[in-house]
Amino acid sequence: MRFSFMLALAITGWTTFAANGETQPVEESIEEEPTVPLTFSGYPDAPSFTVAPLNKKIKSCARCHATMETDTTIRLLEDAPHVDAMTHGNGRIWCLICHDEQDRDQLRTFAGEKVSFQNSHLVCGSCHPQRQKDWYFGAHGKREANWDGDRVLVGCTNCHDPHEPIIQPREPKAPPPVRAGLPKMNEHERAFNIWPWITRTEVGHE
Amino acid sequence: MSECKELKNKDNIDTYKRKLLTTVGVAAATAPVASLKAAWGGATLQEFMQDLFQDHYQRMTSEEIKDTLARIESKAMRDYGAKITCENTPPRPNVLFGYALNISKCKGYRDCVDACIQENNQGRDSQVQYIRVLEMPNGSRDLENSEHYYNPETVPTKGKYYLPVQCMQCADPPCVKACPVEATWAEPDGIVVVDYDWCIGCRYCMTACPYWARHFNWTTPKLLAGEINPTTHYLGNRPRPSGVVEKCHFCIQRTRKGLQPACMEACPTGARVFGNLLDPKSEIRYVLENKTVFRLKEELGTDPKFWYFTD
Repeated sequence: MRFSFMLALAITGWTTFAANGETQPVEESIEEEPTVPLTFSGYPDAPSFTVAPLNKKIKSCARCHATMETDTTIRLLEDAPHVDAMTHGNGRIWCLICHDEQDRDQLRTFAGEKVSFQNSHLVCGSCHPQRQKDWYFGAHGKREANWDGDRVLVGCTNCHDPHEPIIQPREPKAPPPVRAGLPKMNEHERAFNIWPWITRTEVGHE
Repeated sequence: MSECKELKNKDNIDTYKRKLLTTVGVAAATAPVASLKAAWGGATLQEFMQDLFQDHYQRMTSEEIKDTLARIESKAMRDYGAKITCENTPPRPNVLFGYALNISKCKGYRDCVDACIQENNQGRDSQVQYIRVLEMPNGSRDLENSEHYYNPETVPTKGKYYLPVQCMQCADPPCVKACPVEATWAEPDGIVVVDYDWCIGCRYCMTACPYWARHFNWTTPKLLAGEINPTTHYLGNRPRPSGVVEKCHFCIQRTRKGLQPACMEACPTGARVFGNLLDPKSEIRYVLENKTVFRLKEELGTDPKFWYFTD
């Protein structure tokens, strides 16, 4: 971007030189430094949405932490009445990466912005931008109720436990019943090996 | 010339039918109704005759459709003791439905199957299920040796992946070509539907379908009044007679009103993406444009509108 801009300037400069036959000083472009650092505020192309309310109640963290001294050393929280260590990040991250140091009822992004618990997608996206992009555009996560009309997206923490984000295996719903009067097919019948010289392998065609 | 003749004949038949129905109707009204009720399976003789002469869905006038819907509602009341509303929501203009399923997210919970059974008033004991979740070893795609009766303590099983299969709503559907009575066709919004009252139950469509998406209804669905989904559509989840072929219809009764199909709403992993293929801003279009998608048995040229993707 910057390179092409400079190139354009150079070409303009050259053409003016060529036209007038004498050199003219090319004005230095002064880029204004933004006072506030630019932060992520969603994808402009993504369809608009609102985030669904949290599906679990979160106790106020500030109620205890308001009276406690903030210790920023990374450590195991052995006596804490909440998560002491977590599998998320395999030990590379700890509480105050995502939880705001000052205001315990808020989360924080990697860039240091305060974010409410409901807008956890802004925090998660700090490290998982590709997933976050898919979430904005509807390829990851869930949309509630409709395919047309107002988009209500389910936030990250409604499905993933932020301290242990991998979703645990669970029991499946009942398998389909076999039609009345028919026995369930066994392994041998399903394999359908009627020609003994042709052996079918599992990997291969559809 | 011959066309003229045919039209004339058709008119004649229609007039004849109408006359007959009116006569029968009058007869039914004047006859002792109580004794007739038992004779026609609880319906009045007029209803019975109207059922008998009911035309193909696409040929019925709006008046006739209205009568048919009313008959379906009263039949559901008689058979199941449930008050249902049968609708005939038309397709939306500039909408073509498409579905995408993320197989890296599907964990084989079968929540979609369960929701589908409840939404579409399928018999709780019948084998008719519009969605089959196939379990296959990682790295393979041998559909014929896949397992759909899997029932371990917990899913996903290590080393396996899950591939839900349902009607792909092909743009060039072989089932429609196979039907000898034109009881199945593709609607303008891309949904392949069945007129259950026109289907003769020959099951040619089932053999023509490469996806095992069509199911024969061997029994009248056994449902309790409390279990029945009261919001129904003529081409969708209304209580069906036995001996006809059924299939997934992308929950026509929901999707034409802007709602998600029941399977998508029920999926806890968010693996399913549904939407309008003609809307460049839609989620389904994002998936098709940005993910590695594939379709099952694409080489058959049926142009299915159901994509699978991984990420």
